[in-house]
Amino acid sequence: MGKFVIRRLAQAVMVVIAATILLFIGLFVLGDPFASSGDKVVPPETQAILREKFGMDQSLPMQYLTYLGNLVTGDLGIDLNQRRPVADMIGAALPNTARLALIAIIIDVIIGVVAGIIAAVWRYSFWDVLVTIITTLAIGVPTFVIGVWLRQTVSGVWIFPQVPRSFTELAPWYTEVLLPAVTLAIVDAAFIARLMRGSMLEVLRMDYIRTARAKGLGERTVIMKHAFRNSIIPVVTYVGISIGILLGGAIITETLFQYNGVGYLLYRSILQNNNPVIMAIVTFAVLIYVLLSMIVDILYAYLDPRIRLS
Amino acid sequence: MTTTPDPATAAQAVFVESAEHAGPGEAPEPQQQGKQKSHGQFADMWRRFRRNRLAMAGLVVVVILIVLALLQPVISPYDPYDQNLLNTLASPGGDHLMGTDALGRDLFSGLLYGLRLALLVGLLTMLGSMTLGVTLGALAGYRGKIADGLVMRTTDIFLAFPFLIGAILVVRTFGTGVFQVIIALVILGWPTAARLMRGQILALRESEYVEAARSIGASDWRIVTRHILPNAIQPVFIYSFTSIGVAVVAMASLAYLGVGVPPDTPEWGRMINMGIEQVQVAGKDFLWMFPSAAICLTTLVFAFVADGLRDSLDPKLR
Repeated sequence: MGKFVIRRLAQAVMVVIAATILLFIGLFVLGDPFASSGDKVVPPETQAILREKFGMDQSLPMQYLTYLGNLVTGDLGIDLNQRRPVADMIGAALPNTARLALIAIIIDVIIGVVAGIIAAVWRYSFWDVLVTIITTLAIGVPTFVIGVWLRQTVSGVWIFPQVPRSFTELAPWYTEVLLPAVTLAIVDAAFIARLMRGSMLEVLRMDYIRTARAKGLGERTVIMKHAFRNSIIPVVTYVGISIGILLGGAIITETLFQYNGVGYLLYRSILQNNNPVIMAIVTFAVLIYVLLSMIVDILYAYLDPRIRLS
Repeated sequence: MTTTPDPATAAQAVFVESAEHAGPGEAPEPQQQGKQKSHGQFADMWRRFRRNRLAMAGLVVVVILIVLALLQPVISPYDPYDQNLLNTLASPGGDHLMGTDALGRDLFSGLLYGLRLALLVGLLTMLGSMTLGVTLGALAGYRGKIADGLVMRTTDIFLAFPFLIGAILVVRTFGTGVFQVIIALVILGWPTAARLMRGQILALRESEYVEAARSIGASDWRIVTRHILPNAIQPVFIYSFTSIGVAVVAMASLAYLGVGVPPDTPEWGRMINMGIEQVQVAGKDFLWMFPSAAICLTTLVFAFVADGLRDSLDPKLR
């Protein structure tokens, strides 16, 4: 087991290094944030000063190593536009994204698990058919389109703040977070409902369920105590990975609702060619993904010895 | 002279002989019992697929969309790029079936052009990422060892980037344009196909019939192309339909964010952006409703077809 963990850890570190090198090449070698573009004219002397100021006059390997070293100490650099520490910008955006991810997950777990259980327990009933139809539609309709429709029809109504809104208009966070959270939750809820239904149907066929019924337990106890607990595992895995993806920033949804999270920050940084911010956010997203998939792999290996040895 | 056989008759004799040996489907085959007829796996799939009404409806719409996209130059009532600043934001009806946008361009013509673009990008992205993914996945799965490690670690690296964000970065590096969007989506899309393929190959590589083929001396190439690929291809085939929908949405999302195609392109994501960000006039909802409905319809029908294929592959899964 120890050997497997070490091998998997080494692999994760390699992936992160390779991904950051790719990112670095894409951002700093193939693109120049200080070049003149459109009506923005930057004289060569100014470009030279800016390069020196941001340490971009050094050799590329040196720049990359500096970046890696700073990353380890938590220094993410200075943004090119307003000279703020990137770590502060992300620090301000991350709680919003975490809140969004958490609320989206709560909504989709509740809806998905309940719908999945109902569909599995009353298989082929009206409710099962309804759940099947709705999940098929929800998975087929892209999140992007759901977001556009929610924003255009529901924002500004009742407690939901108007989008787009002016800077002076403040809304409490719980009203701001609802629409993007629902947008993100719909597709995930459909996936969870499907997962839950499938694994519940499988568990309900097991012998120990028959035993539980045979010894006279009520149907509610059989479902909630015996079947539910054993069929929730795939959902837990799915939710874990889903949280990771959401924390990396839901760029489309956050941008649509002008929600001040990591995704919207990334979008604005991309428009402004603000390379240090892009670099930091994407590195963060990559780190979370790699870390989570490593944890999932190690957990699986812990549960299933065959994986460890292969 | 008379002893030499006529080459034509000899060839005919060989032909007749081979026809007798490997009789085509119509010829009665004594080995088979009852009414069971042998089918190719795709014929079998198609038979089950046809019974699925939702999937068939999806397929019909897919065909209609493809025909519309192909006929776009002929049936488009206006040039989608043609501006008419005297007739901006016209409501649907009259001369303009779906109204005009903020620059007076005909929305219906724009939608048709957008359909052509979406299907082009969807199909080319699918073909590109499937070709790359299937080849590398098969190589990794069958060869194992170094090839496997190399391909799998590469997919790890690409999969570590969130799909859309990775695509944005690639497009940003290589510049805007339809071709660049396709490249970006292929770069981000092939690892999924490669993993799917590799998993299939790994499962089949150790199977008895492959071992049998190996033991009678079949070459690696023959084993992979004749014995493994036909049995491994179905899930990849199904995924290819899903991936078209993914590509269509990704392209629209990129364009909505302003990083995909040039801003004046009649593309669905751009049209939505114009409809909800740039034009904020009450009662002009048709500007974003039509293009978002178009995206929705396109991805839904491809999803229905993919679902139908999945069920026809294995009816037990339902």
